[in-house]
Amino acid sequence: MSSTGQTPKVAFEGVSKSFDKRGERLQVLEGIDLTVADGEFVCLLGPSGCGKSTLLNIVGGFETPDAGRVTIDGVAVTRPHPKRVFVFQEYGIFPWASVWDNVALGLRDLPAAERAEIVQRTIDMVGLKGFEAAYPMELSGGMKQRVEVARALAVSPDVIYMDEPFGALDSLTRLTMRAEIIRIWEQEKKTILFVTHDVDESIQLADRIVVLSARPGRIADILEVGLEHPRDLGSPEYGRIKNRLYQLLGVEHSV
Amino acid sequence: MSAWPYLAIVVGAVFIATSARLPSRVERLGLPAAVGLIGIALWQLACVFIFNEDTPTPGQTAGAFLEILRSNRLWSDSIASLYRVTWGFFLAAAVGIPLGLWVGWSSRSFKALNPIIQGLRPISPIAWIPFAILWFDIGDGAGIYLIFYASFFPITVGTMAAVRNISLVHQRSAMNFGLTGIELFRRVVLPAAMPQIITALRIALGVAWLVIVAAEMVGMDSGLGYLINDARNMGRRYDLVAATMLVIGAIGIVLDVLIRKLENFDEVRWGYVDR
Repeated sequence: MSSTGQTPKVAFEGVSKSFDKRGERLQVLEGIDLTVADGEFVCLLGPSGCGKSTLLNIVGGFETPDAGRVTIDGVAVTRPHPKRVFVFQEYGIFPWASVWDNVALGLRDLPAAERAEIVQRTIDMVGLKGFEAAYPMELSGGMKQRVEVARALAVSPDVIYMDEPFGALDSLTRLTMRAEIIRIWEQEKKTILFVTHDVDESIQLADRIVVLSARPGRIADILEVGLEHPRDLGSPEYGRIKNRLYQLLGVEHSV
Repeated sequence: MSAWPYLAIVVGAVFIATSARLPSRVERLGLPAAVGLIGIALWQLACVFIFNEDTPTPGQTAGAFLEILRSNRLWSDSIASLYRVTWGFFLAAAVGIPLGLWVGWSSRSFKALNPIIQGLRPISPIAWIPFAILWFDIGDGAGIYLIFYASFFPITVGTMAAVRNISLVHQRSAMNFGLTGIELFRRVVLPAAMPQIITALRIALGVAWLVIVAAEMVGMDSGLGYLINDARNMGRRYDLVAATMLVIGAIGIVLDVLIRKLENFDEVRWGYVDR
């Protein structure tokens, strides 16, 4: 699953970014070089404030880097693209629209019949059949996040960006959602960039884990997770990767 | 003097003391009724012991209410006030909502217009009465103009704030899915702002109802505000004044209940959770 020998889907080339905070210059990202292969599931793992969300906002076209650039299929990213879709940290779905209308958001240009077919199929896929007419406030946190995922999947995205999408969910729902994401990813083979600060989450999901150091965010290491899905959370290899990640994050034996 | 106020206070107090045991529905209606009953009794006692003799008692006020009800004044003056409020309010909404959406969304128009809007806003609508009469003559035109002015600022400023408060994640969702122009407004800006727009309309209608009474007292020759002035000037009929005041309050409550119906639509209910 590594990206050698083919044109990378996504390439970060020397990406740096700083913010001004009350007159002080805050270096958030420094010299990020990374390539992601087509269909690869990559987790960006790091402590809060390491710039991982900023990195995702840059590749998503919401922010521009101070130096360096990001290319997708060799073309530099300058703005958001309807085929490269975000699944947001807070709920980005529209509370004023029904589940159906939320999922249909990116399909406005399609003929009605085709649109209806895709919306229904996507809603079924994320397990929300029967909730088409419901409004987000009537749904649980996990169901809202499913709507968010469905809205992204409905457009047949090229790349999916997920910014701690399950952070607000309880731990059991989070596990189910991870399994769902893996099931959908294996079925659809989209390229996924997934930001998290949760070590277990990254080992459960990713082909590769990119570990970022705290401010300024640099790539500390990149780990290949050679485990097949469904992954055995008790296996020695899982434990070995986990120890290594804790080491990289500087928190081994600290609890 | 009769003993009913004392009796009413005892009955009300006993009900309040024991009502926690009643079904919640009975409690919800009964508690304010008991407090109201005590209030009326205290009003009666105050008329006997404190206020001067021109102050109407609850009984006299009720009699005056029947009098204006029979004389048709109540009906025609209520209609006059409501007519001015309705037109002024709808015109203000028709201008203020689109303007607020535009000024809230476009930062250049915000820079240009916000200082003007904020500068005109503190001028009391009542201060405009001389010009309202100069331009529109005494009557509905002046009233409608004043109500337009009074409701325009809450509606416009509330709509502007609503648009400027649209969450970043919803703006980014819209950008990500390629929404632009009319579609951006229809699918994101307007619905995202709608709960706060409805709140602004509610505030504006409340202000409008306050202002119309004041305006009619000063510069009109019909309406509930005029009825109050007229009652005082013709033979110091304070019982009529009090009865009209209660009618004004009742109509105000009805207007608020009606406009709150807008909050029940599925598309905006999300904006009022935790209420």
